[in-house]
Amino acid sequence: MSDDSRPKEFFSVSGIPIKRIYTPEEIRDMDYKQDMGDAGEPPFRRGVHPEMYRKKLWTIRRYSGGGGPEETNKLYHKEYELGQTGFSIALDSPTGAGIDSDDPRVSADVGSCGVAIDTLLDMELLLDGLPIDKAPLAVISQTMSTYPLMAMVFAVAEKKGMNLKELRGTTQNDVMTTFALWFLDQVAPRYQRRFAVDYIEWCYEVAPRWYPVSFDSYNYRENGINAFQELGMLLAQTIDYIDEELRRPHPMDLNDFTSRFTFDMGCHNDFFEEIAKFRAARILWYKIAHDRYGITNPESLKFRFHAQSSGCTHTTQEPYNNLIRIAYQVLACVLGGAQSVHANGFDEGLCLPSEQSMLLSIRTEQILQKETNVTNTVDPLGGSYYVEALTGEVEKQARDYIAKIEEKGGITEALDSGWIHGEYMEAMIEHEKAVNEGRTSVVGVNWERLDEEPYQVPLVRANPEVVEKQKERILKVKRERDDNQVKDALEEIRETTVNNQNIMPPVMKAVKAYATLGEVCNVWRDLYGIWKYPITM
Amino acid sequence: MSRKNKIRVLMAKPGVDGHWRGIITVSKALRDAGMEVIYLGNQTPEQIAHVAAQEDVDVVGLSILAAGHLRLITETVKSLKDQKADDALLVVGGIIPQMDIPDLKREGVDEIFLPGTPLDTIVEYIRTNAPARSTSILVQKGKQVIPGRDP
Repeated sequence: MSDDSRPKEFFSVSGIPIKRIYTPEEIRDMDYKQDMGDAGEPPFRRGVHPEMYRKKLWTIRRYSGGGGPEETNKLYHKEYELGQTGFSIALDSPTGAGIDSDDPRVSADVGSCGVAIDTLLDMELLLDGLPIDKAPLAVISQTMSTYPLMAMVFAVAEKKGMNLKELRGTTQNDVMTTFALWFLDQVAPRYQRRFAVDYIEWCYEVAPRWYPVSFDSYNYRENGINAFQELGMLLAQTIDYIDEELRRPHPMDLNDFTSRFTFDMGCHNDFFEEIAKFRAARILWYKIAHDRYGITNPESLKFRFHAQSSGCTHTTQEPYNNLIRIAYQVLACVLGGAQSVHANGFDEGLCLPSEQSMLLSIRTEQILQKETNVTNTVDPLGGSYYVEALTGEVEKQARDYIAKIEEKGGITEALDSGWIHGEYMEAMIEHEKAVNEGRTSVVGVNWERLDEEPYQVPLVRANPEVVEKQKERILKVKRERDDNQVKDALEEIRETTVNNQNIMPPVMKAVKAYATLGEVCNVWRDLYGIWKYPITM
Repeated sequence: MSRKNKIRVLMAKPGVDGHWRGIITVSKALRDAGMEVIYLGNQTPEQIAHVAAQEDVDVVGLSILAAGHLRLITETVKSLKDQKADDALLVVGGIIPQMDIPDLKREGVDEIFLPGTPLDTIVEYIRTNAPARSTSILVQKGKQVIPGRDP
């Protein structure tokens, strides 16, 4: 008896044709030691550590923040009490762009989808009382505001008596993310890349246990591209940073330069394809680092990654459905071997997370960790004919996509020319068309949609008073600081930038003198001008 | 009145929220439906209104996803009035709480499209509700005078 509504052919979300059934044929030509390997051994197909979750569970780390620094500080304390084991800072759009809260163009956006940070004083308030030496901090910043922000984080850590040489944490520092979203007043990709690589070099000396980069494809994927475009762009970005370092007059040993690289990906809907993607990512990164660049440092060869449930798959309609979507996606992250996971709030399509949705996010991961026993063994899906076949296919397609990007001159050239944004636009338009035409199903939206919304969920609103408070605080800081000291520091940033020296030392100086985020970034805007994003119709 | 000209739509994002997927996909659907789309991207409410007036658009479409919608929409509505472009159909897409919709409509927004709205629905709404225009527009020394509007 057949169901006429079933399709005749089956494909993964990324278009891979899927067979009726997979058999030992798929793995017949694989040599276990060479092609699979144990977890913790090249090519790391099965995982980056031999023991994985048997030794250490993944970090429960919610990307969160909103309003002013004191509000966000309270939130982080609460998350910690609920059992979160790492922090991840969500910045508001102005801070993300490196624009101060008193800029008239940004008033309505201050504190509205992340925390507002303007000066060192704000960072002190944000991190007050937080055990960032025990529960590491991830600073999710990607534009040039990353550098003054990180200077603030380290200045605060020093003040707290923490040893920077021991301090663990992560900075996103991913240039492609700057351009996957849109940010006001940015400089061209090649200058951003220069700053990003400066920062990695500096961190190696000053904070050698800190992860100075987390190459992050989450936002690339949110633009509608598929799994191998996502992985391809991610690793093409990584290649680009390495090649930038190699062009320097005295490049670091790549074994050192890459030793603290980490990664960050989204986790989309196709359960098995996403698991395959994570496994393929480990293999591909190993091959690039080892075969292409001759890197031998075992730390460098591991694709350590954080993963986040994919916001673009969550719906505004029937928000509780998102709990189910997120649970499946988080399970895929774990079966795929992630080191750190963020579960979105079910209210992703409505507002910033409420207390309820925050609690459920954390519980989603805790239930997985404590009740399901999926952590009992390493790479439980290893050897599955389907998963191994998919892994091979995603690896191949992603490798081909990297080659395509290289044909375009590498990722920075591809950004400059508008090619990357062309890929995004084609993907997002095609996806929307597929949903509109019913070729892609979204439960509760274009499939089985109800006339009335059945659920009332608590709604979080932006606090409209944040902008005034931030403005007052900026005024206070400017009144109390030594303006000459700031002026000199900003001039030093300019000179250092022009002379191709590492930008971090003068940025640290400026930040400690209470220069604002905007003041520091304006040095670079004045030097390089504003880059026009190639987003057009 | 039958429409002789293409419907002119200005698509913009007030404020600095950087999520651009919604505005691009809707813009494409409108263009595919035969409308003329002027894509402005992120601008301040004042600048959006200025371009709306200058380009004499029939429809202003705003995309807002970062929670500042109340203030941004109020400012845009005011700017459109100040720039005498408030005859245009004003539609908003993005993350807007259901409970705010009645207030926003009272303020001057004609329709709000939440995520998950079929593209066809948006296209049809605009087709049906964009103000009908006559084919002639009088232009005097840089000041546009449109029949039916205040000079």
